[in-house]
Amino acid sequence: MADSKEQELKTIRKKLKELLVSHLSLEDVIPEKIKDDEILFGEGLGLDSLDAVEIVVLLQRNFGIEVKDMSQGRKIFYSIDTLANYIYENQKK
Amino acid sequence: MYIAGIGIVFNRGRGLVNLEKALIEGWVKPAPAYQVPAETITDKQVLKEARRADNLTKMATIAAFDALMDSGIPEQSKEKLGVILTTAFGPHVTTFGFLDDILTYGDAGVSPTLFSHSVHNAAASYIALNLQSRGPTLTMTQFADSFHQAIILAESWLKEKRCEYILVGSADQIGKVMEYICSRKLKPALDGKIKPFNCAKEPESIPGEGSTFFLVADNEKYNKYGSISAMPSNNKKNDPDLYILDSDGMCGDERLYSRLAKNKGLFTSYAPIFGSMLTLSSFSCAAGALMLKNQKLYACPIKENPHNFNILTKNETLSVHKIKCLRYNCYQEELIIQLEMKNF
Repeated sequence: MADSKEQELKTIRKKLKELLVSHLSLEDVIPEKIKDDEILFGEGLGLDSLDAVEIVVLLQRNFGIEVKDMSQGRKIFYSIDTLANYIYENQKK
Repeated sequence: MYIAGIGIVFNRGRGLVNLEKALIEGWVKPAPAYQVPAETITDKQVLKEARRADNLTKMATIAAFDALMDSGIPEQSKEKLGVILTTAFGPHVTTFGFLDDILTYGDAGVSPTLFSHSVHNAAASYIALNLQSRGPTLTMTQFADSFHQAIILAESWLKEKRCEYILVGSADQIGKVMEYICSRKLKPALDGKIKPFNCAKEPESIPGEGSTFFLVADNEKYNKYGSISAMPSNNKKNDPDLYILDSDGMCGDERLYSRLAKNKGLFTSYAPIFGSMLTLSSFSCAAGALMLKNQKLYACPIKENPHNFNILTKNETLSVHKIKCLRYNCYQEELIIQLEMKNF
């Protein structure tokens, strides 16, 4: 069971990295080079508030997930790991 | 007003060096449209704040930056620097992308970034932000008249002292929808050749894209490429040394051009270099300004000449003072932009 969850999270992380790079037009960033725990906003990957809105759209389009409570955003959008976990949890519902 | 600097992005590269190279080489078969190569609009330095920008904005930002750099105006001049961008169709590729997304994902699933970039003034805003200009920033669109109108506006801004310097230019882009419309409404040049001197009822066209910018100023000390002005109509007593015709097939019936054949002066057209664009006049002006500066004339790329125009058949070094860039718009109205170099 745990193996299956980890396998699914791995797939989600890979897809997320590819989507972030293409959807946010991140130049000179290779998806495979993004660490799972890399901070997305500010110092880490350097995303900004406009990117946050794009990620909301990206989640809806590609995973069918709506982020309705934006106060949770800071926690959800912290890293690839936190995003992937949020997708995993909410896709299952 | 005087041209102090020029920037250009077109299907055969970026900058005046590539423009001159293309003018010397002449016609090269487009593949299949006159599209700007992706590598031409990847400049990390100039576009460092423009990762979200579409290709129209990237072309315009690079051309405007190059015109400013070419001019050599002082850094502090940005306080009095205005921007006028002209475009016939604006960011239509982005706009249609946005509309497609509404159909595919619904209105809640469309990209806000795509929407904000689908407005006509997006490219001009990027230019102003990138160059940190503090003067007025405006986008004008009036199809074939766009660049002509922009020159009139730039002259009035300088006279009013609203600006000391203005970046005035054009940008237009090729897209799938536009190519489809051109193929349905206009006659495509199947052999890859736009024939500017055929003066045909149904002229052939091939869509083009790119951007040209001019840094213009009232002060004669910035006279690097001569003066530029919009003329109300062609004064027959005031023949130029050279006519550059914008007969590129985009405005339909071109039979009216044939009446110019009796005029004195040489004729050329660089539509076969740049492609068919309603903002072609700005590209013609860039070629004309380069000829005034270099005192060199570049041969007409396509020499089919059934109406016996006195066309430029070869590249030559020749004294040239006055050039008129002439186009008839879709209402058969004459649009002339005059370039003149008095002292050289």
